Amino acid sequence: MAVAALHSGGIADHIHPEPQGFVRRYVFSLDHKIIGIQYLITGFVFFMLSGLLAEAIRTQLLNPSGGFVAPGTYNEVYSVHGSAMVWLVVIPLLTGGFGNLVFPVQIGARDVAFPWLNMLSFWIFPVAGLMLFSSFLMGAPTAGWMEYPPISLQGAAGTSMWCAAIFLVGVSSTITGINFVVTILKMRAPGMTFTRMPLFVWGQFATAPLLMIATTALAAALAALFIERQFGVPFFDPTKGGSPVMWQHMFWFYSHPAVYIMILPAFGIISEVLPTFARKPIFGYKLIAFSSMAIALAGFMVWAHHMFTSGLAPFLQLPFMIITYLIGVPTGIKIFSWTATLWGGKIHYTTAMLFAIGFVGLFTLGGITGIFLAAIPFDLHVHGTYFIVAHLHYVLIGGSLMGIFAGMYYWFPKMSGRLLNETLGKIHFWLFFIGFNGTFLPMHWLGVMGMPREVATYDPQFTFWNRFESVSSYLMTFAILIFFVNVLWSIRYGKRAGANPWGARTLEWQVPSPPHYYNFKHVPTVYGLPYDFSQPLPYSGLEEELTDSPPPVAAGAH
Amino acid sequence: MSVAAIGADAHGGVDQLYVETRELRLQGFLLFLVSDCVLFSSFIFAYLYLRNSGQGWPPPGIQRLDVAFAAWNSVVLFGSGATMHYALENFKHGKFIKYMWFLLATIVLGAGFLGGQAFEYNHLIFGEHVTWWGSGIFGASFFTLTGMHGLHVFFGVCYLTVLVLQSAAGVYTRGKYFGITAGTLYWHFVDVIWVVLFSIFYLL
Amino acid sequence: MNAQLIERLGAVIGGIAVAVVAFYALYKDWQVTGVENQVFKLMLALLGLGAVLALLAGLNVIGFAPSKGAY
Repeated sequence: MAVAALHSGGIADHIHPEPQGFVRRYVFSLDHKIIGIQYLITGFVFFMLSGLLAEAIRTQLLNPSGGFVAPGTYNEVYSVHGSAMVWLVVIPLLTGGFGNLVFPVQIGARDVAFPWLNMLSFWIFPVAGLMLFSSFLMGAPTAGWMEYPPISLQGAAGTSMWCAAIFLVGVSSTITGINFVVTILKMRAPGMTFTRMPLFVWGQFATAPLLMIATTALAAALAALFIERQFGVPFFDPTKGGSPVMWQHMFWFYSHPAVYIMILPAFGIISEVLPTFARKPIFGYKLIAFSSMAIALAGFMVWAHHMFTSGLAPFLQLPFMIITYLIGVPTGIKIFSWTATLWGGKIHYTTAMLFAIGFVGLFTLGGITGIFLAAIPFDLHVHGTYFIVAHLHYVLIGGSLMGIFAGMYYWFPKMSGRLLNETLGKIHFWLFFIGFNGTFLPMHWLGVMGMPREVATYDPQFTFWNRFESVSSYLMTFAILIFFVNVLWSIRYGKRAGANPWGARTLEWQVPSPPHYYNFKHVPTVYGLPYDFSQPLPYSGLEEELTDSPPPVAAGAH
Repeated sequence: MSVAAIGADAHGGVDQLYVETRELRLQGFLLFLVSDCVLFSSFIFAYLYLRNSGQGWPPPGIQRLDVAFAAWNSVVLFGSGATMHYALENFKHGKFIKYMWFLLATIVLGAGFLGGQAFEYNHLIFGEHVTWWGSGIFGASFFTLTGMHGLHVFFGVCYLTVLVLQSAAGVYTRGKYFGITAGTLYWHFVDVIWVVLFSIFYLL
Repeated sequence: MNAQLIERLGAVIGGIAVAVVAFYALYKDWQVTGVENQVFKLMLALLGLGAVLALLAGLNVIGFAPSKGAY
């Protein structure tokens, strides 16, 4: 299967000459690890920007009558906040960022399949991000991150800019998806069979086809919205025979798989962190791996559960409800496997582990409200209320973002050679955990009581909990500031990490921190799963990795 | 002549790096075609959705599309698919001159299809029942989908023209001709998309 | 002989030719292996199908006859 097994002057033996100069090394780099770090930096910059927008939202909601920004501006703020968090932060951080940074090393490859496309795909992303934020200059979109017509058809010029920006991010995601699928299928080290791949690789392997297929469907929807806005071509305008519900179909056919794009890599991160710090083999390796694939597949069959209030025929609603329930099964399998991994383990409460355990708890909460929302009668009651906001933030912050932080604390030593400060990290975790729950837990009952989302003012009876949420959100922001301080401080002054500070067993920890641009001096041979902590490492050919010897093949440019 | 091994070089050996790189490129290209297929599928979904949203099809005041001309024009495009197939076959068997002729025939037929489409557009836009992109859901779906397909054909023609120039310059050898394989895949893909579009616009 | 008849004749004759060529190429390549050749086989089958559809449309078996002559 793996071509690299042949070992006769093929890709596995092919080392490019070392890149020279600052630009080729750090700016237009072809090295997947540098590109991963570029994604992380860019993603976190956009994270700060859209986090500021989130704080603007919470500050507006301190008072029932608002008053911080004008209602129209409020609409722009939450629309750009949602779009940026989904497309510029969570997806690029988890796929482009951690995916690029870690998984090629984990499968024993020297680089991804198409380094040039990888670089292209990265450089599209900041351009698209700047386009999205620049839409404020011409009147940002006002219809939320879903941009439902007809409101998006009437929106200011920035809505077209939004379409173009998201289209570009989509192109970048599609390229990344193609690149990752080919890399995982074709570039694995000898002996790295599918059932020996680390679970983070499985997470990426389940995500990449979604990136490739679902994102293209979104591109079609965005192109249709764009040409309708710019050239008056009727797709969605009901007065010209179009159908606004069609946008909802086209959009959610992408955006439901997109929620799995945002969570499956985080599942992968958690599946790496938990066994490492519980010092125990992961429970149910194959079940976790295959349930990722099951979730990815079923993710394409449930999009209309976002549309129960759109007048969908009842006989169509029922199957969507049932399949949505079915997705709870593989997700539950994962949760139970992680819990069983912790059971009886020798748990090290590092910051990465705290975030991973926090992930398991908070994601379960978000997942359970997801099961609530899949029930048609309940969904009809809370659709468009803060209950939805609570649910999506529990899976996106409690799930994806906690996964991102766990990954940062876990892999920061690998990318920089220094550990993040654990004391600051624990302060970060606890403040973030308390602030997060304080912000989003009350939204559940506010939503059930009927507080509508995406409105700049609210009924005065909700004042207490809204103020409580806003104050908690400031706490959360403060915690994230501590994280950024921690990163900036630790890059300069952090404790030296060495190759393997956590005693982890996947391949990336067997090479120096940071790894050489060619990853491995000799491509290793793999004999088993990386999670059996009582056994010797299942790799051979890694003897020289931590010595100063040069790689055997240093030439061979083409 | 028989087919040479992939990656074979002039000295009778096999370039392993080329073999593996080609494998990656092939898979990447096929996945690109899959995602392109999803792009078309989304618009086809939109067309079928709008078509079934009431008021009958074609919508009131719109003339039915002329199936005779479209059938003839489709045959031109399908014929180009057949010639492209034989271009690749001939190249694989080392018959370079025949390959070039088949490739040129493909380009001519592809350009002919584009001309036919331009003729049809001209008739629809400036005929007695004016239909254009923005004039209704019929124009929106028809011109978006066929226009997108036409763009793909146009890019294909450009690609094949580049292939002619590259082949004349001797870029492709007996064992290393992935550019031609990719061109053939792309051209077949464009043909097959047209099979679907022809069926749903002219026959349904 | 009007324009429509010429178009239909072209569709029928061309459709037969392309369908025969496509299915013959498919038959000849049936045993060939390799990813790209499997894709080629699928594409050739669909191409033949398309040619048959165009041929049937030219014969006025499927599709709708236009109200009057061709463009």
